[in-house]
Amino acid sequence: MGKVGIIGVGQSAFVRGYPGSIRELAFEGFKDAMRDAGAKTEDIGASVICSAPEYDKQRSPAGVFAEYMGLTPQPTFYVETLCSSSSTGLKPAYSLIESGLHDSVAVIGFQKMSEISSAESQERMGRGADIQWESPFGTMMPAYYAMYARNHMATYGTTPEDLALIRLKSSTYGQINDKAVYRKAVTAEMFTDPESPMSGPVASPLRVGDCCANADGSSCIIVAGEEKARAMSDKPVWILGLGAASTSVNLAGRDVFNGLTVGIEAGRQAYEMAGVTPKEIDVAEVHDCFTIAEMMAYENLGFAKPGEGRDLIRGKETYKEGSIPVNVDGGLLSKGHPIGATGGSQIRTIVLQLRGEAGDMQVKNPEIGLVHNIGGVGLYGNVTILGR
Amino acid sequence: MNEQNTDAIQPVNPGTFTVPEDDTPPELLGGYCRTCRSLYYPPPRYCPSCLEEVESCTVGGRGTLHSFTVVRTKPPLGLPQPYCVGYVDLDGSGLRVFGLLDPERVEDLVLGARVHLTVRSMGHDGRGEARLRPCFTPDEAGEGS
Repeated sequence: MGKVGIIGVGQSAFVRGYPGSIRELAFEGFKDAMRDAGAKTEDIGASVICSAPEYDKQRSPAGVFAEYMGLTPQPTFYVETLCSSSSTGLKPAYSLIESGLHDSVAVIGFQKMSEISSAESQERMGRGADIQWESPFGTMMPAYYAMYARNHMATYGTTPEDLALIRLKSSTYGQINDKAVYRKAVTAEMFTDPESPMSGPVASPLRVGDCCANADGSSCIIVAGEEKARAMSDKPVWILGLGAASTSVNLAGRDVFNGLTVGIEAGRQAYEMAGVTPKEIDVAEVHDCFTIAEMMAYENLGFAKPGEGRDLIRGKETYKEGSIPVNVDGGLLSKGHPIGATGGSQIRTIVLQLRGEAGDMQVKNPEIGLVHNIGGVGLYGNVTILGR
Repeated sequence: MNEQNTDAIQPVNPGTFTVPEDDTPPELLGGYCRTCRSLYYPPPRYCPSCLEEVESCTVGGRGTLHSFTVVRTKPPLGLPQPYCVGYVDLDGSGLRVFGLLDPERVEDLVLGARVHLTVRSMGHDGRGEARLRPCFTPDEAGEGS
């Protein structure tokens, strides 16, 4: 088997209330990636379209997109795993290439969160929980992560102030990322100032500042087999490891409440396939839908021992200059979280980092990067390791 | 407890908790597989290991609070604001179950608290019709086991 490379990455700006249709939104990321790859539509052998369908008015968007992007008559596939849909899409793309069926595949993720009203959105987000056994009790995403936060705090002594530090880091980079939806500064004082929206209680112990920004957006990753990648690109980034896992929807079926088992398992698979250890990762994107999610990711991916994630953020080790830079593009917290587009955007960030094209967010000379993308409350987990 | 007559109000998720007409404490209803003796909550129709139908059985109504949160955003389904949800490790069966916690007892919610099940009219079915819901409440000092 040859290697599989990423030859083009793109994303739309993440914004509130994108004015166009979902096909126009998706085209923004696609156009960006096609230009980046220097590709024409006939170079693309197949497309994988990724979103969480509960937000889409359009049923079966893959066919509509393939037509709009000029990717017919090539085959197109639709993939969804909630918030991890587009990193999930990378796995079938990789497999289509390794199997020899196609020599290049476009993975297109999108989500227009504003396609429906925010009340509808809240209710539909809740349907990502178990609608038969959990939703009747009024579940919502922050409540689940809040329960993980409470147990992490009780078990390890993590504090709300530690979680706020993660948001401060994210805002540092959100301010310099022109694709980010939330570009304002966030200070520690805001978390204790009752006048600041950041301090508002959501689901104890999580506050508004602990929660990511909703946004509309799209992303696109163009993947090719080794020969084609070398022919089309002078700086391909190679897929070294792919891990994916699932667990029970109903959180009652889980033993551990201090971390996400899917993150641990997907990480184990990806490290094994890539033949690297956590110490060899130079830059990472992790799924920070809530501050506690980034804290758990430090530990689940082996950047810190269980309970010691807080030492990383207290010591600023996950800042750009630190020993393991994490989410130095603002992450979901500041860049925004258009759920079907998120994984592709994370992959784009790491590809730009490995090429040395991340601008003000550039980490010094990284060789190996990691992407951790979670769907639902740790229901689906993907870890992808990329290298130059 | 609730003063209103709950006789006519239908339970949410029927068959997953008892609604006693006397002073018997309510319990959750799970599934029991006679073949492999596994207990399930919520009850599936079939045991995934044996592929046999499970039978309904009580799995308890007392336990220890494993985690919880107080939700202060606008509640769905006519639930009180704030409302509380959490995970309870049931005595005996050892099952961990998800459910509502008593919104009147927010200050008594702590990890490891001893709790017991109540059944009360809380919220509606999504179309405005009241529903009975199981709800764990902290034990009073000296109460219970």
